[in-house]
Amino acid sequence: MGSRASTLLRDEELEEIKKETGFSHSQITRLYSRFTSLDKGENGTLRKIDNHLPWWQMFTCWISREDFQRIPELAINPLGDRIINAFFPEGEDQVNFRGFMRTLAHFRPIEDNEKSKDVNGPEPLNSRSNKLHFAFRLYDLDKDDKISRDELLQVLRMMVGVNISDEQLGSIADRTIQEADQDGDSAISFTEFVKVLEKVDVEQKMSIRFLH
Amino acid sequence: MGVGLALICTLLLAASQVGSDAVHWRPPGTHDQGSGSFWGLQGDPDPGSGWRPREVQTGGSGWGPLGKPGSDWGLPGGLDHGSNWDPSGSPADAKGSGATHPLFFSLDYHHVQVPFEITLWIMLASLAKIGFHLYSKLPSVVPESCLLIFVGLVMGGIIYGLNDKSPPVMDSDIFFLYLLPPIVLDAGYFMPSRPFFENIGTILLYAVVGTLWNVLGIGFSLYGICQVEYFSLQDVSLLHNLWFGTLIAAVDPVAVLSVFAEMHVNEKLHILVFGESLLNDAVIVVLYKLFQSFSEMPSITTLDILAGMGKFFVVGIGGVFIGLLFGMVAAFTTRFTKATRVIEPLFVFLYSYLSYLSAEMFHLSGIVAIIACAMSMKRYVEANISQKSRTTIKYFMKMWSSVSDTLIFIFLGVSTIGENHEWNWPYICFTIIFCLVWRALGVLVLTFFVNKCHVNTVTRKDQFIIAYGGLRGAICFSLVFLLPNFPRKKLFIAATTVVILFTVFVQGMTIRPLVDLLDVTRGRETSPTVSEQIHIRFLDHLLAGIEDISGHWGQYYWKDKLEYFNSQYLQKILLRDYDQPKSSIVLLYEKLERKHAIELVEAGQLVHAPASVPECHSHEPATVAMVPAPLDQDLVDNIQQILATNLYKIRRGAPAYNRHTLPGETGAAEEAKEILIRRHRSLRHSLSRSDWERAVTEKAAEFLAHHGYQMKSKRCQSLTVGDPRAVPDVKYCRSKSTCHITLPKFSGMEWVDEEETDQDQRL
Repeated sequence: MGSRASTLLRDEELEEIKKETGFSHSQITRLYSRFTSLDKGENGTLRKIDNHLPWWQMFTCWISREDFQRIPELAINPLGDRIINAFFPEGEDQVNFRGFMRTLAHFRPIEDNEKSKDVNGPEPLNSRSNKLHFAFRLYDLDKDDKISRDELLQVLRMMVGVNISDEQLGSIADRTIQEADQDGDSAISFTEFVKVLEKVDVEQKMSIRFLH
Repeated sequence: MGVGLALICTLLLAASQVGSDAVHWRPPGTHDQGSGSFWGLQGDPDPGSGWRPREVQTGGSGWGPLGKPGSDWGLPGGLDHGSNWDPSGSPADAKGSGATHPLFFSLDYHHVQVPFEITLWIMLASLAKIGFHLYSKLPSVVPESCLLIFVGLVMGGIIYGLNDKSPPVMDSDIFFLYLLPPIVLDAGYFMPSRPFFENIGTILLYAVVGTLWNVLGIGFSLYGICQVEYFSLQDVSLLHNLWFGTLIAAVDPVAVLSVFAEMHVNEKLHILVFGESLLNDAVIVVLYKLFQSFSEMPSITTLDILAGMGKFFVVGIGGVFIGLLFGMVAAFTTRFTKATRVIEPLFVFLYSYLSYLSAEMFHLSGIVAIIACAMSMKRYVEANISQKSRTTIKYFMKMWSSVSDTLIFIFLGVSTIGENHEWNWPYICFTIIFCLVWRALGVLVLTFFVNKCHVNTVTRKDQFIIAYGGLRGAICFSLVFLLPNFPRKKLFIAATTVVILFTVFVQGMTIRPLVDLLDVTRGRETSPTVSEQIHIRFLDHLLAGIEDISGHWGQYYWKDKLEYFNSQYLQKILLRDYDQPKSSIVLLYEKLERKHAIELVEAGQLVHAPASVPECHSHEPATVAMVPAPLDQDLVDNIQQILATNLYKIRRGAPAYNRHTLPGETGAAEEAKEILIRRHRSLRHSLSRSDWERAVTEKAAEFLAHHGYQMKSKRCQSLTVGDPRAVPDVKYCRSKSTCHITLPKFSGMEWVDEEETDQDQRL
């Protein structure tokens, strides 16, 4: 699988993805084989496109929500649906490899040598701020740049289980907002969110060391 | 201050007089003193003496009741009768010696001798501790362990001076069976499991590979030194050097804990050093026994060495297994203790101690077992037992571990004085040098590997502190006394003593200024807030999902699997109220709310007087969030502010694994007192306005009820004294009686009942 995948990615495309996301060659090829393994129909065959995919069709290989939902552990993850949604750009039902990598790039660990270079260029996808933004977007479903009490309640309800009464959840949500809220609007804005997590080592917590 | 010191000195002397008695008896089975009358295993199968009253009584080597002829008295221990002194020479005895006529007031010391002496030693240790803290500057410069060793040295000197014999040496049995378990249990129970498991790979690497590296390095280099003819050390064999290397390479959890506890470095660093010091016990046990068996075997084959390595896995994993077993049984037992709340704390201690003893019985690693037991049991036991039991467990553990810790250091000091040393300075100096060098090298090399495969990098400063913080302590000391009696044993004893003193004094004292100098990241001092907890959990789930999607089996994947297993199987069996499994977010929230409720009660009648608002508002700046009030603006605003400020104030506390302070206590007492004072002041102001108050409280209750903030309304009721009709009582029911907490009955929250019956709140 690995060697075949590498013939499917031309160097130019690899370079492009590498520049945009910062992953290394081997990581990209490995993730590509993972991507293609997700894109399979129920019979274990690809739905529309043959497995011997030439490089120019790489960008046209799509996966949809059902493909993600086929991952068993994701089904029992409380945030499963939201995570899946985060991969799909606004309003679309399919994601290609580029988009897949773009989302995963948020979770690349921050290397020391990256911190100083390219201060003037666009912020890399895996910077602390972008990581936090990604997490924030998972809370904020209506995309109004605030986590309202209801949105928080929904997340809490998913994470805490069915045996806690609504009342109690409501008070926990209230308390959470109270602790974070500084401008008094009973909702958590992005800056307040960042402030709450300032003591947490987000760079380390939101990173996966993708194996080579 | 002076009084304290005087007290300490008198007790010192008294204890020494008395103590030397205890020390000098020996069970008659073993040979009498030669140069060192110490208790302790001498490598014989004969079990160590320690305090064994029974044996003494059956001995009859002149041990008799009162009435022994006066000549045996004199300085306790009977100097003149070199080999025939007996323990009955207590002053009191002699006074009545030869007395055949009954006195009205008689003394029967030997009857209580053993417990009396034990208590005196503990008392001495504790008083010494008080004494240090009387000089406020001293503990900040010199760590407590140093001071305690110093006291021990002084005492040892006194005893030596009085008796002209070596003072008692700490019996290895007493150390391993009685003094060490409480400390390790305390460490394991309050170990923060999240950072521990996040760094478990690094910790294991340091503990296993690092220790092996140190052992081999020190052993071989010392052997190399021994080869040099100039030092006249030719007869120390390679095996003995390696054996010595084993026991000297052991980083000691007791010493590390006592020094690092006062330092407040960041959590990761603390957990790395501390975790390593705990887990290297498995390696040390295996290696020690390995070398012991090698020394008895005529020849050593490679097969034996391989068998030894295999044994390591058995020891480590076996220890974990035993610990888990006892932990699960303990959790299961507490499921049924609802009717017998009083003995709940006992189960925690009994099961942990049993796990330690069982592991020791099978020659597995007792420390690893007790840690595994404590960590696995904690989660379920805490959910099953009552709040009071939780508090009891916490206090008892801290107390016991503190006493043990103090005693260990004092005994260390006492035992260093004496004649059981052979001072070969080159060997000793090289030992110290090699210890430092090899540890530094080991940390450096291992960290290089760690940083390659881990996101969690260990910085250079951290590395330095890890290397420098490798303190040796009482474990090395006890192990060296367990060595069999070969000719060069005293050399090893001397070297061990010097290394321990060096690490504790020099490294212990200089590490704090170094930490400041290097500006190592300090630990965070705020306790986790509910929102942080929620967000961290959120990120956990997020990362687990991303790992699943990218097909990566990282730590979140395993954590998730474990959580799943836990919720499907373990919780059903081990938790009493399974139908109400509580997520840790909810538990934390309840814990914080409970703390606030207690604080509300303790601080007395909290206000409905707006006059106090400006004071309390300035007092807690950061946590106010005002809920907008459509009604009568000023008044209700003020009420809201009061409620918000008082309800959601976040407590600050030191992390729970610090032995010297209990969590949640720093500064809170002062805050509560200040609040109390202010309240009383404002209360006096407001007494004249009771009618107006009543209107205010009614409005407030109405407003809050109207807006359905039920949690707040519950508080409001408590703040407004239960109900408006009780307001006139405000004058004389000052503190506790006015706080009537009527909480909505959340299922499973039985602490409400306990609080109410305790405080006897009802109006």
